[in-house]
Amino acid sequence: MTEAPIFEAEGIEKSFGGIRAVNGATMDVKRGSITALIGPNGAGKTTFFNLITGFYRPDRGRARFDGREVQGRPPYVIARFGMVRTFQITKALAAMPVIDNMMLAAPDQPGESLRNVLFRPLAWRKREQEVHEQAIELLDVFNLTRLADHYAGTLSGGQRKLLELARALMAQPRFLLLDEPMAGINPTLGRRLLDHMQRLRAEDGVTFLFIEHDMEVVMNHSDRVIVMAEGRVIAEGEPQAVRSDRAVIDAYLGGAGHGGIE
Amino acid sequence: MTDPLAIFPLGLTFEAFTDIDFWTSVGIFAGIYTIFALGLQLNVGFTGIQNFGQAGFMAIGAYSMAILTAEEGMNFWLSLPISILITIAFGLIVGLPSLRLRADYFAIATIAFAEAIRLIALNARDLTNGAQGIFGFDDSWDSISESIEDFIIDLGWTDVPGLFPLFLVTWGIAVLMMFSLTRVQGTPWGRVLRAVREDEDAARALGKNAFSYKLQSLAIAASIGAVAGWLLAIQLAFVVPDEFQPIVTFIGYVVLVLGGLANYWGVAVGAIILWTVLEGLRFLELPISETKIAALRFIIVGLVLIGLMAFRPQGVFGKREEMVLGD
Repeated sequence: MTEAPIFEAEGIEKSFGGIRAVNGATMDVKRGSITALIGPNGAGKTTFFNLITGFYRPDRGRARFDGREVQGRPPYVIARFGMVRTFQITKALAAMPVIDNMMLAAPDQPGESLRNVLFRPLAWRKREQEVHEQAIELLDVFNLTRLADHYAGTLSGGQRKLLELARALMAQPRFLLLDEPMAGINPTLGRRLLDHMQRLRAEDGVTFLFIEHDMEVVMNHSDRVIVMAEGRVIAEGEPQAVRSDRAVIDAYLGGAGHGGIE
Repeated sequence: MTDPLAIFPLGLTFEAFTDIDFWTSVGIFAGIYTIFALGLQLNVGFTGIQNFGQAGFMAIGAYSMAILTAEEGMNFWLSLPISILITIAFGLIVGLPSLRLRADYFAIATIAFAEAIRLIALNARDLTNGAQGIFGFDDSWDSISESIEDFIIDLGWTDVPGLFPLFLVTWGIAVLMMFSLTRVQGTPWGRVLRAVREDEDAARALGKNAFSYKLQSLAIAASIGAVAGWLLAIQLAFVVPDEFQPIVTFIGYVVLVLGGLANYWGVAVGAIILWTVLEGLRFLELPISETKIAALRFIIVGLVLIGLMAFRPQGVFGKREEMVLGD
């Protein structure tokens, strides 16, 4: 409990034209937690992800990952720190085979530098071997091994979602940000994915922050919940406590008006 | 001289069409366009950046070599690597501001760059001799060419075409480039390029500095363009601004489409098909004027392209899946 949070955001703001999409979002993510980020549509969850992973530049505010400032840094630098994200609309590298999608994500491949490719043509091959084994192992976990040589663009929506998660794991993240990982996946595969998250947390100490709309998943599989509405964090705490929070119920019922919190 | 084919002497007789000198010359152009389009293939087919300024890099390579040799008196062989470095520098100058632009704006920026280079070459007469062009940079090449010719004569082929050594060297370079580029494309470096082509944001989210890879790709394409520029200059024995019209880049794209995207060997196939069709059509004997026949040749090339798009849109060597899934 006394351990410093792995991630802290303070007063993050971003406006697009006249619309303030994120309006002073402040939150902590506990190291080793599986934290859900929920909120009605338009609450600014995805924008918040884009702001803290370098895809947008915040107008104001600070974000720290494991003691390092991340706001304003380019996405690839943040990813190399070990803070890796997935996208709500999957970004499978369609005209590349599944296995290449996976191997691409591995860090510390000296063969990605042109200098090494030209002057040390054998230096990267050993690493490539390791990466290939890792990729096959991970594909196994998500039942994608038989598709390894297929183009990623031929996969179904659910398979792409799994591929994107598996690919993010190849990057060996310490903090994984998932934007609606369950959307479009059948329940069996969804369960595998959740089990794997639990295992990664237990074995490798990976921290998760995931945006999710399915309240059953949130209540049963997260140990903390952060609620955003209208660009700010309106509540946070354990799932059961958040569920009965007055502000949260108001936000869901008053905001989107589509059924509220289950 | 917007028509790059107009460099062939007019009024060729029928005998000229069966002439090995004629086809050697065609072969050299096919080789030069192969090299030229290999740079485009790296950019367009493997990195997803629409470089429309390749003729500009070709011009910089040719002019740097010619100016350094003929006007500054530099050794020809030394001028080659230096002209490559100059071209790479221009690649970086163009790429640094414009590769941050969206794909279509980048295409416009590069076309503007190439035209700027051509117009500077036309007007900076002190440096480039304007429309008169630069001559007399190829003495060192000529002596090498003669040695190769003597060597071939010694082997027993006595009536070697004068341009045959250039043909050999051009295709030697082309094959070496295709081989090396294919090899490099198969490395993790090449994989990152393809990822950038597929989805730049996904590549960045996985820790890849997409901008740096695009810049590297452009710089390499520029240096390949410079090599095509030297060979063109040697083939013509002069360097003039008109050889670097935007149509040169467009013909490079025709080669790319014919051969197929994302395959380096396909580029050679595309270039050979294009030049054989274009030049072979000189055999056409029709009761119309020569200028009309010249125009007809391009119409026929257009029809070939339309037919290709209808029946094999991925080009001769391209992979259909990569084209369909690419978006």
